[in-house]
Amino acid sequence: MVHALMLALQEEHTSGPLTVEGGLMLWTVFIFILLLLVLKRFAWPAILGAVEAREQALEQQLAEAERSRTEAAALLAEHKRLVADAKGQAHGIIVDARQLAEKERAAAMEKTKQEQQEFLARARREIDVERDRAIADLRREAVDLSLAAASKLIGERVGTDTDRKLVMDYLATLDGGR
Amino acid sequence: MTRFGRMWVMTGLLLGLAMPAGPARAQEHAPAAAAQAGGHEIDIQHHIGDSHEIEIPFVGIYELPRFAPIHVGGLVIDLSPTKHLVFMLLSALIVALVFVLSARSIAGAQARGRPATGFAGAMEATTLWIRQEVILPTIGPHGDKFVPYLLTLFFFILAMNLFGLVPGGATATGNITVTAALAIIAFLVIEVTGMRTLGPKGYLGTIFYRPHGLPGGPGGAVLKVVLLAVLTPIELIGKLAKPFALAVRLFANMTSGHVLVLALIGLTFLFQSYTVGLGASVLATGVLLLELFVAFLQAYVFTLLTSVFIGLMREAH
Repeated sequence: MVHALMLALQEEHTSGPLTVEGGLMLWTVFIFILLLLVLKRFAWPAILGAVEAREQALEQQLAEAERSRTEAAALLAEHKRLVADAKGQAHGIIVDARQLAEKERAAAMEKTKQEQQEFLARARREIDVERDRAIADLRREAVDLSLAAASKLIGERVGTDTDRKLVMDYLATLDGGR
Repeated sequence: MTRFGRMWVMTGLLLGLAMPAGPARAQEHAPAAAAQAGGHEIDIQHHIGDSHEIEIPFVGIYELPRFAPIHVGGLVIDLSPTKHLVFMLLSALIVALVFVLSARSIAGAQARGRPATGFAGAMEATTLWIRQEVILPTIGPHGDKFVPYLLTLFFFILAMNLFGLVPGGATATGNITVTAALAIIAFLVIEVTGMRTLGPKGYLGTIFYRPHGLPGGPGGAVLKVVLLAVLTPIELIGKLAKPFALAVRLFANMTSGHVLVLALIGLTFLFQSYTVGLGASVLATGVLLLELFVAFLQAYVFTLLTSVFIGLMREAH
């Protein structure tokens, strides 16, 4: 096998693998440049342009999505704030109402108590007056009755002012012991 | 030999069906080579070398027209077409056709506001991948103007590499002349980029290089001259070594696979044995699968390194 390879290598060739051929080199350069020009004119701009356009569109969409996201987040925050505000306000209103009701109730209670007191006081006063009048009436009646009884007893009419005064004085001494 | 040969044509055909590849070619050629050398030998040189004829499988050998060489000064330039030139032209035509049609399809899809689908979509994805992952990161900022050149380079090399795996095809990139021409173009692109981005003074700095931060005074001046004298040849060699490495790497990679496959198939004829033939065929199939990968890899490497060199030159020193 080595022998075969050696033979192959020894064989005379005008163009071996390591010979550099000017003609082929010129052709290579020419074909490469031609291919480069053709592709540069007709292929690469279209392919890379399409990719770039798509890239831009994607980036734009991403930016838009980002913007909508932040907008939505801001809206959500605003919404949350509003809800919290409303809740706070409602709470305040309820507390206020409760306080007001409490106050009203207390005031009403106070007023009722006062009225009751007044009523009681007036009643007591009236009772006192009535009682005094009743006592006075009773006293007068008692004087009259005692005088009538006395006159009956002594057969004479006793009714002079002096008599009356006498009885009254006596009753006055009784008054203290009542 | 006839029964043996027929068996091998069948095996070769089966392999050819399984793999778009060379055993069939080797088989085709074997009798001729054997007859020529009077032994059991395959003319590897003839297979990987250039020639003025094309073998079309099952049809025959086609002689290409020859022109008289042109004499430019002392140089003799033979512009007549060769096997490699024909396959290079075919590669260029296929690349042009594929991408011009893909571009049309992509532009049409774009006009409808949709990404391209199918083959055009695949081409677009490949193009985009090379641009985004290979070219732009290595060249650095503002690398867009190099994209057409490097994309063309990649697909042209890839098409030429793949043609070597088609039955009856030849690898133009397995010819040092072709890879040297591509490397010379790369060298010119790299150096011209250097001249344009660095300015005349900056560009000359990449050849006549002296390190910064040398001490002043007469001692420093002497040191400067010495370093300049030492470093300038190194810089020049470095500049030339890059395209040389590009050319040799591509050429050697594309050639070695073919030599290996031919040598493996050749073992069969050397030993005249079915067992060896079976083993060699299995091995050759594996090597051809590897070659398919190498075809892509080497196109990628050539493109990647060219863009790395352009990037290095743009931010040189």
